[in-house]
Amino acid sequence: MNKWRWLLLIITCWMAAGFALSSARQGQESQAPALPSRADRIVSMAPDLTEILFALGLDEEITGVTQYSDYPAAAKEKPNVGSFWQPNIEAVVAAKPTLVIVLGSPQQKNLAERLKRIGYKTLTVNLETVNDLFKAMAEIGTATGRQHQADELIGSVREKLKALSSLVGDEAKVKVLWVVQREPLRVAGRDTFVNELIELAGGENAIGPTVHKYPPIGAEQVIISGPEVIIEPDMGQKDPAAQRDAALRYWSRFKNVPAVTNGRIYVIPGGAVSRLGPRLYEATETIARCLRPRLFEN
Amino acid sequence: MDQLLTPKKLITTMAAALAVLAVVMFACSLVGSEKISLRAVFDGPGVQAAANPDYEIFVRFRLPRIVLACLVGAALACSGVVFQALLRNPLADPYILGISSGAGLGVMIAVISGLSWTLWGRSPIAVFAFAGALGTVWLVWFIGRLTGKFHVTGLLLAGVVVNAFFSAVIMFLTSIAKSEQVHSTIFWLMGNMVEEDFLVLWIGTGCVVGGIVAMFYISPQLNALSFGDEDARSMGINIARTRTVAFAVAAGITAVAVSMSGLIGFVGLVVPHAVRLVFGPDHRRLLPLSGILGAIFLIIADTLARTVIAPAQLPVGVVTAIVGGPVFLVLLVKHSRNVGGFK
Amino acid sequence: MSGIIEVTNLSFGYAAASPILKNISFEVPPGTFLVIAGPNGAGKSTLLNLICGALKPQSGEIMLDASPIESYSAEALAAKVAVVRQESMPIFGFSVVETVLMARTPYFSAAGFESQADRAIVNDALELTDTARFAMRPLTNLSSGERQRVFIARALAQDSPVLLLDEPTSFLDLRHQVDIYDLLKTAQIEKGKTIVAVTHDINLAAQYGDEALLLGMDGSFQHGRTSEVFSAEHIENVFNVQVFAGNIGRERFFIPLGKLAKDNRQINPRPNNNKS
Repeated sequence: MNKWRWLLLIITCWMAAGFALSSARQGQESQAPALPSRADRIVSMAPDLTEILFALGLDEEITGVTQYSDYPAAAKEKPNVGSFWQPNIEAVVAAKPTLVIVLGSPQQKNLAERLKRIGYKTLTVNLETVNDLFKAMAEIGTATGRQHQADELIGSVREKLKALSSLVGDEAKVKVLWVVQREPLRVAGRDTFVNELIELAGGENAIGPTVHKYPPIGAEQVIISGPEVIIEPDMGQKDPAAQRDAALRYWSRFKNVPAVTNGRIYVIPGGAVSRLGPRLYEATETIARCLRPRLFEN
Repeated sequence: MDQLLTPKKLITTMAAALAVLAVVMFACSLVGSEKISLRAVFDGPGVQAAANPDYEIFVRFRLPRIVLACLVGAALACSGVVFQALLRNPLADPYILGISSGAGLGVMIAVISGLSWTLWGRSPIAVFAFAGALGTVWLVWFIGRLTGKFHVTGLLLAGVVVNAFFSAVIMFLTSIAKSEQVHSTIFWLMGNMVEEDFLVLWIGTGCVVGGIVAMFYISPQLNALSFGDEDARSMGINIARTRTVAFAVAAGITAVAVSMSGLIGFVGLVVPHAVRLVFGPDHRRLLPLSGILGAIFLIIADTLARTVIAPAQLPVGVVTAIVGGPVFLVLLVKHSRNVGGFK
Repeated sequence: MSGIIEVTNLSFGYAAASPILKNISFEVPPGTFLVIAGPNGAGKSTLLNLICGALKPQSGEIMLDASPIESYSAEALAAKVAVVRQESMPIFGFSVVETVLMARTPYFSAAGFESQADRAIVNDALELTDTARFAMRPLTNLSSGERQRVFIARALAQDSPVLLLDEPTSFLDLRHQVDIYDLLKTAQIEKGKTIVAVTHDINLAAQYGDEALLLGMDGSFQHGRTSEVFSAEHIENVFNVQVFAGNIGRERFFIPLGKLAKDNRQINPRPNNNKS
């Protein structure tokens, strides 16, 4: 038999052997003992997830968090497993997790797939809307055996939000421009969770529906939208007072905008309002204070 | 006469190279963003997944990644050797005939269309990249024959045309895609190594090693072909068959490599050149040695990619470009001086 | 050794409307030294390419050992016919001996390596062409003439009964010109090879060729013994130039005469054979 036939034969046998071995291994793995459902070593792959875990009282069980998990302060002491954008799968494994919680973005789902393939238990939750948040807290509660705490947490947040909305009452909604970046000017659109916070706080987005979630806008759109309040979350810079000065200077050129003429430009702490998490009520209340300061003067 | 290649010399050289490869594989498997200890690895897997992280990291991440780098490096280097012989140009690389833009287009289509069907559970991106790469090669071959020009010229012209057109389509798709999709496509295209599972690595090994052996079989013919079609034909070489086999196999293993790890440049260009400078142009030795050196090169590049800015990772293509670019420049200058006679 | 070439009614043109070769017929018996001469564009190299199967005739037939050229596989043809073309540029730095060894490729083992017999043949070829002394050097380090000899060695290493050469001495100095023709003649006499050489050099052709084929621009041709084909009249007609024909011993030579030659007077177109 000539050398080409030999080569073809060997390759065919090799491939067949591969398929045989692979299905044998899969059979073996499906017989492996199931992992215990008690999640005593948890890795969180996003800062919002970290907050939820701490809020459910799981501080001891957390063995790994991502780079920007900065709340609560105790989270900063936990081992680093990479960032939300670039998770370090080796570090995740080194943390010996019994449960890894990820968000529903494609990269994170991909990470979950890789971990599941080698036998790790993962939980994927979405945190795009406020409803997602409540669902996520319930799911995490169930997965970690903290249903009770989860229910309490959800209930308490819901109650406080209800109280806030009855406090605000039927007053006309305040038009808000939520500025995430000043140069170039970029705002939060209607399709974001920030928009939901604004509405819960009794306001409405000055910008109409847009294609992008955080669209860049031009000066004319600012004037046309005529916001009554401008809110800028501070992006973790050192000096909020300096940012407020810079903001006032920047906005002073928009002389026809009600928010500017009435001096209603606010720079608020960015932490709670830049992610959906257990601090939902605190975030909403902060916004409500900006919209209706008189309501909170008592 | 003593300088001629003999089976014994070839086997000795290859054995030495394989030994170096083994050492590199072993050393690099112990390097990474997490420290692991070899002794702990030998304790074997724990009862459950989380019990022995050293073992998990070593066996589930380091080894598969190194095996993958080995395969892709060997595939790209060997197909580079063959394309350089076929196109009679030492500056050719495996992507010169449109494989890169074809794979890129396949990936973009997969990402944008959101199709989710898979082949044996593998992601659609790899499948589309493979199909895109092979489809483009076939298209270039077809157009090359249509032009009716001298074979090499026809292929190169077709490659230029197809590359240009597909790149334009990719740009168009990029402009209408969502930023997330664009980001993941570009990241994939820059070349990255992910731990693949057993079956993928096994099949990949079969394809790449089988392809390299096939190309070795036609190495004497490739030697003759480097003097031109007519001279080779007069020496008794079946040039149509040699060219077809060489082209199909080289394009095939490049498509396999690209579908597993994205577009990694410079390996297919620099490694054959370097091996040729040191060991000479005889393809019977050039081919296997380039394969082994390509594997070593890519393993080291990947190790750098995952440790230099740990815990973040550089795309491997960036490391090969940074290392390969200057090396290529040096080789180019040296090479042009050597071929002084005809310039 | 066989290697009979029979060309019958061969016509060929690169464009269908303008044929270069029209109805050419001739036979090359085994062991003959045939020289092909003619002006530029008459189709000498084309004819050579037709004979070795690189081009297909428009009409007519070329037979090798009573089988049509097209019926031979590349390997079978190479065992019978070796070709030395005009200079080809080496792309990779193969050495002289590696290059000559490539002629033995069809005979390599399954693993792709040569045998002792192959090496012996290569050694012979290197000795014959006086290239053994730089056997290890890369081709790119040789002069044009040395390179040409290497390609001839490669053709010899094919060990075929027929050798086709396209202007084999175009880059060689005087010494090496006769050396190569001596070598070809020796191969013909001692090994019975059939040599077909396209050449610009009428004098060397007249010196060494047994038979000659003179191709004209209009597609005409003359074939026969060299002494008959190479006459002053034929050459003047075909090359359209004045020619002085002379004898040295049994060797004939021809010298083209330009209008501005030194003596600057009208030269008698039919000079006597005895020149003072």
